[in-house]
Amino acid sequence: MTRSLAFMSFRYAAILLAIAIVLVPVLWMASMAFKPIEEWQATGADLTWIPRAPTLDNFRYIFGRSTSDLIVTLDKTALKPILASFLSAGIGTILAMTAGTSAAYGLSRFGSGANLPLALVQLRLFPPMAVMTPVMIMWAFLSFTDSWWGLALVYGIVTLPFAFWLMKTFFDDMPKEIEEAALVEGCSRGRVFLKITLPMMRAPLASAALFVFILNWSDYLIALLLTTKQWVTIPVYMASLSSSMTGQLYGAKAALGLIAAVPPVVLGVLIQRHLVRGLTFGALKQ
Amino acid sequence: MKDESAKLGFRLTLPAQVLVLFISVFPLLMQLYISLTDWSPLSGQSWTQAWTMWNTFANYSDVIHDSRLWAALGRTALIMAVCVPVEFLLGLGLATLFMDDFPGKRVAYSILIMPMMVVPAVAGYMFYMLFQSGGPVNDILSRLLGHPVTLAWLSDPRLALVAVMTADIWQWTPLMFLILLAGLVGVPDDQIKAATLLGAGPVHRFITIVLPRMKAIIGIALAIRVIECFKIFDTLFIMTGGGPGVATETISVYIYKIATQDLIWGYVAAIALVILIVLSIACVWALKRMAK
Amino acid sequence: MDQQNRISRRQLLTTGGKLAVYGAALGIAPKFIRPARAGAPDALAAGMIGGPTGFDGAERYQYGADTPEGRAIEAAKALKGAGKAPAKIVIGLSDGSIGQLTKPFPAGAPSIKDLWEKETGIPLEIVGLPNGQEFTKTMQDISTKGGAFDIYSVEWNRLGDLAESGGIAKLDDYVAAHKPEWDDPKRGYVDGAKGVALLNQYRGSTYGVSLDGDFQTWVYRTDLFGDAAEQSAFKSKYGYDLAPPKTWKQHADVAAFFQRPDKGLFGCTDLRNQGWGYTNWYQRYTSMASPNQFLFGDDGTPLINSDQGVAATQEYVDSLATHSPDAISWGWSEQYGNFAGGGAAMTCAFSNLPKFLDNAGNTGSKVTGKIGSMLPPGREIDGKLVSRSVLWFSLTGMVSAQSQYPEVAYLLLQWLGSSRIYSWMTANPGGYFDPFSLNDFADPLVRETYHGYHMDIVRETVARTVPTINYPGATAFHNALDENLMAALTGAKTAAQAMADTAAEWKKITRRTGEDKIIDAIKANKAAWPTVLDPV
Repeated sequence: MTRSLAFMSFRYAAILLAIAIVLVPVLWMASMAFKPIEEWQATGADLTWIPRAPTLDNFRYIFGRSTSDLIVTLDKTALKPILASFLSAGIGTILAMTAGTSAAYGLSRFGSGANLPLALVQLRLFPPMAVMTPVMIMWAFLSFTDSWWGLALVYGIVTLPFAFWLMKTFFDDMPKEIEEAALVEGCSRGRVFLKITLPMMRAPLASAALFVFILNWSDYLIALLLTTKQWVTIPVYMASLSSSMTGQLYGAKAALGLIAAVPPVVLGVLIQRHLVRGLTFGALKQ
Repeated sequence: MKDESAKLGFRLTLPAQVLVLFISVFPLLMQLYISLTDWSPLSGQSWTQAWTMWNTFANYSDVIHDSRLWAALGRTALIMAVCVPVEFLLGLGLATLFMDDFPGKRVAYSILIMPMMVVPAVAGYMFYMLFQSGGPVNDILSRLLGHPVTLAWLSDPRLALVAVMTADIWQWTPLMFLILLAGLVGVPDDQIKAATLLGAGPVHRFITIVLPRMKAIIGIALAIRVIECFKIFDTLFIMTGGGPGVATETISVYIYKIATQDLIWGYVAAIALVILIVLSIACVWALKRMAK
Repeated sequence: MDQQNRISRRQLLTTGGKLAVYGAALGIAPKFIRPARAGAPDALAAGMIGGPTGFDGAERYQYGADTPEGRAIEAAKALKGAGKAPAKIVIGLSDGSIGQLTKPFPAGAPSIKDLWEKETGIPLEIVGLPNGQEFTKTMQDISTKGGAFDIYSVEWNRLGDLAESGGIAKLDDYVAAHKPEWDDPKRGYVDGAKGVALLNQYRGSTYGVSLDGDFQTWVYRTDLFGDAAEQSAFKSKYGYDLAPPKTWKQHADVAAFFQRPDKGLFGCTDLRNQGWGYTNWYQRYTSMASPNQFLFGDDGTPLINSDQGVAATQEYVDSLATHSPDAISWGWSEQYGNFAGGGAAMTCAFSNLPKFLDNAGNTGSKVTGKIGSMLPPGREIDGKLVSRSVLWFSLTGMVSAQSQYPEVAYLLLQWLGSSRIYSWMTANPGGYFDPFSLNDFADPLVRETYHGYHMDIVRETVARTVPTINYPGATAFHNALDENLMAALTGAKTAAQAMADTAAEWKKITRRTGEDKIIDAIKANKAAWPTVLDPV
């Protein structure tokens, strides 16, 4: 299809504008991460857009290797919170994807669990804040509070609806003939699922997993309420870089923010070729 | 064979069922119980003793008269009513620009989905800085308008609302864009070509061929954002804490405040159950409509 | 990189707090880095059984067997010997305060944590809590029976709430057994037993140990107030001499006079944000009557929905005009940063502001040598001046009811909160535990860190300080006030509406919390209100 010059210029102009808007906060964060403390200030005539004296101090600082005498060394480095985020978001994602995919398949093929679609939408729709009080009591009772597994369990549950719904639409869409052919050839149901169905679902699985992971990785509220010291996650830890006494350690926050963006970006790049197809939610009926 | 299928289906759905029951049974029963009492962690008694503070339906009648709660709900609805359509239109607009190949597409695409990769809490801190009265946003506006702009974004009730909505739109338009682009790419080319041959213009083609084919995916995209936007908390809470005053206090922020500061958990439970009932009705209705 | 050892103004502007603390440390450090005493630097002075060593004047912080500190250490050791001590004591502490326990000060000294561990053999685990999350985390631990801490440190006025929740231990038996001597007339709390009742007790029982002294204190710029041109301009405009304002009327004049936003100068930058703004409202409101305008009547009725309440609120709202446009979203660090940059003529803050900003080592501060302290503005009533400040925040140590070893936890608090160790700790610029006892105000090291001129004013301010609401429901009471004041500030409500709504809200909270408890607590709270009146 050929496009008119006018359309092409409009397209580039619009995309450039969108990119510019998208980039302002991103670049602000990236630049802040490399600014020395003298340049953090966000107000007035001294506003710094590009670091005048770029430094890695902010990164060194959050890993406890501050060379500067001016900043007190942190009592806790960012390492453990990064680990906590990885474990809770990662295991939570695996949990949600496993339970969600198998349930979606069970419903789609065998009509089991007819209550799940509604129950899971309700589960996701409900503001976590409103149920967190009993969950806090329950978690403390089970000794799940302030642990990565306790957090992973909640994450697995609150993102289960996404895994389920995403996968269900794809299973619904998948032509049954393929599986049936394999069954006729004598494969067991389980083998068909593992060897034929799942591989075909690589794209949806990958994008659903990425999406679920990003949701878990992003969480602030649940971790804020369910962790205290050992297993605080990145967003919660970030708040300790901002007590009113230390002032807001914006550079350190931005540095950690950059680091926190790495896993979603890496995963996103890895599954990029599946992403667009995977996100159709199987909703394009031919 | 049928039995075996049912068994297998049961087994496959079992983990999900267990997880759902695990997170709903105890919390629901507990909420139901303490919502009928004045129990608070400050009362000095365990929640199991809440019956000693029985107040029957006082919490529920308080919910009806809680003007702050309704204001927070209204504010949440307003944020949803602005953010979701804006995100949708921007996402759709951008997605249509990405339907065919052009030089630089991959780079542009990668940049545009960046906000999804930024942890919302981090975005909150960045936007807090951006919206200072002498901060970057005003700096850009000053340069564009040619005169100094010193809006106190986060200190003004109306501007603060604009600021938090801006952050939400920034963060979530990319998801709309991604989903809608996936939908657009999936519309079969031959149908569009056929329409072109019949002499339909691009706008006409878009409305008559493309959009109807995307109905389902648009529905899903909107549903996801409506659901998530209703719960809006992280970025907003870090930017304004619901302030100034209650200017940006959404339903989640309100419940967070009364649950962690006022600590009136009996009342929180009543609010939670009311919301649950209202949402469930909405949910059943929406699913029925979708099924049609 | 010489950059690293320099503090620039901008850095202070954004980071205020802890960086400033270290700036202060740099400034102060050279004065303290002296060769340790010849001979045995680790030796205790004669008759002493413990305390810090290794720096000049260390003997002031050492203790004999018959001191609160000595008794605490001995008792802790005995408990440990009897197997009645925990493997470690877990203490939850605001992030910003940890430095005072873990950083050695002055040069040559051990850290507080090391000293305790060395003397008792019981390790301390300090868990940092983000500022503002102390109460939330504490309540979480209590309500879910988490049991993660032996000691909580929470804002002072949550004592009533926490005591009622049953989450913190009553300390009366331990106080009787180990005699902390908080009311010692020479070294103890200002106001003796009354001060102890105010800071550590709830309804007659001890539940907390004060670890802070956040008496909100006023400072001004001596260079601006002393400038001849400013003085004559002021005089010709207002008809009286430019001086630190004694009344709120004068305060408004002075603030308006210096309000020059185009020149980067604001009249006054005391806080107007959520959770803090009402500290200024308190000062304006409580000085509306002599000796005090109370918040509640003896029968528990709110008194704020009155002419006094409305007038104070109106004044509070009007004063926003002499603040920064961002005032409502400005917190403490923005305030300090702005003041360091010379951005304000007056402000009201924690007592530690001069310690950080009037500091030779803080090369970035534009106000070094230019800060003066003043008493809070007041009102002339019946020929006397009623001037009131307010106690707000002020971290207090409390023993968790879930602690397996509450006595040891208490002993740590007794040791930390008694005058010798506390003075040594508060002088440490590594955190924000501020001075509050008589010994602190007299201690040379504290006076050096906080400045003599300031310490004298702080001490006088303490005598004019009203307590904030510290009865059960304190948080809910303050939130209701906060929201309504904020609505008044943003123009959503009139002053009268704001007061009427707050009073209605307060009545509801009183009913919900239990009137008897509240009335009881109101009486105890009132006993601590100041009676000092000044000549006009």
